[in-house]
Amino acid sequence: MTVVEELAPGAPGPGALTKVRQGPPPEPRAPEPRRISNNRVKGDRVFLGSSYLSGLVVLFIMVAVGVFLTFEALDALRAQGASFLTTSEWETDRGKFGIASIMLGTGLVALVAVGVAMPIAMGTSLFITNIAPAKVRGFLVGMVDLMAAVPSIVYGLWGAYFFQGMAVNVARWINTWLGWMPWFSVNGADPSNPNGSLTVYTASIFVAGVVVALMVMPIQTSVMREVFSQVPIGEREGAYALGGTRWGVIRIVSLPFARGGIIGGTMLGLGRALGETIAVALILSASFDLKFRILESGGNTVSKLIADQYSEASGFGLSALFAAGLALFAITLIVNFTASWFVARSRSGAESDG
Amino acid sequence: MTPRRARLATLAAAITAVGAILLLTLHPAGAQASYTRISGEGSSWSAGFMDAMRVNVKQFGITVDYNPSGSTSGRKNFLNGTVDFAASDIPFQFQPEDGSAPENPAAGSYAYMPITAGGTSFIYNLKINGQRVTNLRLSGENVTKIFTGVITNWNDPAIQADNPGLKMPDKKVVPVVRSEGSGSTAQFSLWMIKQHGALWNDYCQRSGRAPKCGETSFYPTIPGMIAQSGDLGITGYVTQGFAEGAIGYVNYSYAIGAGFPVAKVLNNAGYYTEPTPQNVAVSLLQARINTAPGDDYLTQNLDGVYSDADPRNYQLSSYSYLILPTKVQGQFNEAKGRTLSAFSYYAMCQGQNQSASLGYSPMPINLVSASFDQIKKIPGAEVQNINVASCNNPTFSPDGKNLLAETAPFPSECDKIGQTQCAKGSGGAADQDTPVSGGGDGGGGDGSSGAAATGSTTEATTAGNTTSATVCDPDTGECTVANGSSGKASTELASASPTTLQGDSGWGSAQTLAVLIGALVLALVFVPAVMWRNLSNKQGAP
Repeated sequence: MTVVEELAPGAPGPGALTKVRQGPPPEPRAPEPRRISNNRVKGDRVFLGSSYLSGLVVLFIMVAVGVFLTFEALDALRAQGASFLTTSEWETDRGKFGIASIMLGTGLVALVAVGVAMPIAMGTSLFITNIAPAKVRGFLVGMVDLMAAVPSIVYGLWGAYFFQGMAVNVARWINTWLGWMPWFSVNGADPSNPNGSLTVYTASIFVAGVVVALMVMPIQTSVMREVFSQVPIGEREGAYALGGTRWGVIRIVSLPFARGGIIGGTMLGLGRALGETIAVALILSASFDLKFRILESGGNTVSKLIADQYSEASGFGLSALFAAGLALFAITLIVNFTASWFVARSRSGAESDG
Repeated sequence: MTPRRARLATLAAAITAVGAILLLTLHPAGAQASYTRISGEGSSWSAGFMDAMRVNVKQFGITVDYNPSGSTSGRKNFLNGTVDFAASDIPFQFQPEDGSAPENPAAGSYAYMPITAGGTSFIYNLKINGQRVTNLRLSGENVTKIFTGVITNWNDPAIQADNPGLKMPDKKVVPVVRSEGSGSTAQFSLWMIKQHGALWNDYCQRSGRAPKCGETSFYPTIPGMIAQSGDLGITGYVTQGFAEGAIGYVNYSYAIGAGFPVAKVLNNAGYYTEPTPQNVAVSLLQARINTAPGDDYLTQNLDGVYSDADPRNYQLSSYSYLILPTKVQGQFNEAKGRTLSAFSYYAMCQGQNQSASLGYSPMPINLVSASFDQIKKIPGAEVQNINVASCNNPTFSPDGKNLLAETAPFPSECDKIGQTQCAKGSGGAADQDTPVSGGGDGGGGDGSSGAAATGSTTEATTAGNTTSATVCDPDTGECTVANGSSGKASTELASASPTTLQGDSGWGSAQTLAVLIGALVLALVFVPAVMWRNLSNKQGAP
């Protein structure tokens, strides 16, 4: 447009054209960008405002919980200082308490839970998305969701009164053959005695962890299922066309595509396992030893400690429990944020779509 | 039109009928709704009795919620004002000996009311040759040693000495204790301090509670112990199949309910007894009740129970209390006081009649009368003029004596120390006999003890056959002659003695061979295939 305007006054000819071209380049007038204004109707504005508000409220509640916990925990934290992180005992009335053993216990229960749940969740979600016939698929999805809907006290009672009796035999077997690994050893167990007591294997982190695994499995399955179902159909069909077997397609196409989702789903499950309370409280026998022996009876987790003691704790004891809760709150936040980052990254699917 | 009208008429009739039914059912409920719902929390030791009372008073429209979360929790929430009343086995701890935070209720804001009595019993799960033991006996010292980790195996000579009729198995002892603050823990620790203080103090040091814990509601644990919450939690753990070798302390009623035996504990008269309602009534005759008016009115001092020399005494007997509010405080108000008073009257009067069948012991007349006075202190209480004699309480007699204690049967001769124990089961397993043998190869095995054991067997057998113990039913007062059931047929079983075999420990040559065989089988399948592929590849390559 601009060139045509410059040319217009001059005579049409090659000289003129050259002349004009040789002249100083014309200042291009900056075009006024069209103002894009959004004339929102009233409904839009109300909706926008309320969604902003609810988003902010969630954020505010999270921050408020953190602030409240910190405020309540100050008494105990100030009294204990750094030794709060390194002490194993929990005797608040004697001023000797810390989260070393209970944090370790929390972590171990969660690790056992995720270790058991993750392979099952992966298998289930792969079966649902890749193998199961379409008719069965909906039913299976419903069943997994139903597992998530079972209250945890039910899992706890089932675990304490039924499953534990079975699990101790497994624990004994593991201890007998793999007891040379320090974390599978059990103090006071005597595998060589066929008449030996099974009680040393009860009320252990292992039993609690396996029961918690049942509770975290549904959430892991649903996240993984979601990601597996987003695997580009073109790539899968391409792989089949090249003569890939079903396992080959899953290995070459599905798993790499869904890697982020698998990690994220696993970590979401980990976040839930860290906070699981009532089932653990029913099964685990409280002890404050700093130990890795998961098959041995006794252990503790932060949420179990709080559930056990909040109703009888004095003012200072309550503050100490808040401090433990704060530590769990922080760790759960970190785990969940990491998880959602992984999930979000995998869902873009950019690296595999091209 | 006509069919429609008919339909309308039917509908109208149906509505009327439903309405009439609703009115009929709702009417009594409407009359009863005048009682405000109340809530209590505390002792799980007395929860069996409390639950029975709660169910019973439903018929009067009284709704009582009760949360058996432990005495400590009950007292704390009573102080916080979040429950209307508390149930606790021990009074408020103004100066706790174990260093926990003191409880400081305002003077005159509460009143103790003894609600039921019972025995802290030792429920256990033990088998010899696959057969459940139901007649275990333990001396007080051995009980203390078990719960302080000194005795760790059931075949300990000290336990064997208590049970000459059993061949104690080589099984780990697993003490199961309360994980939360509990009145039964406090009573049990108090008994251990008074009777076996050195053992308890030594244990406290080993468990890391320096230098001594004193009477405590929180059981100190060492590795090897299992902590469970509530009497129900302990019972639930001990009664499971895998828990062989476990022993826990719960109220007698829980053992009855679970159908499990309790250990008979040795008393000062040299008899092993269990906390039957009658035995508890006898034992608590020696409890000193604080009758000085004040905040500690009606609290118990059990020293006399521990030192009692009656053959029927069970040392771990005690009263359990309700803590009643005497001021409007927290969420408690006068309307709730009215409900609480009605509930308390029922529990203290008619309710006591039922306690023996639950495994608790009914209250004696002096405590029932004193409790009636305590109920009057509740704000809003609806005072009932109850003639104590009309309560149908099995302990009452016209001359004021405790009838239940008077008629309590004496223990059989086979319950005496040194005698071969009775075959008859205890607690909830009273109908299951455990065959006993006259010592046989048990114990030392030298000539003299063998002779003594044989002698006692004969004696016990004759005692079992001839003396037919008179058993009086606590409810009806009817006395029947119970024939001692002879365990003659099953005595043969007991003569088999458990043998400890030297088992293999983990990996041995058999396991190595098994792995080798597995590897060879795999090799047989895969090696030819792989070899062939490699060979053909080489040949195929130019």
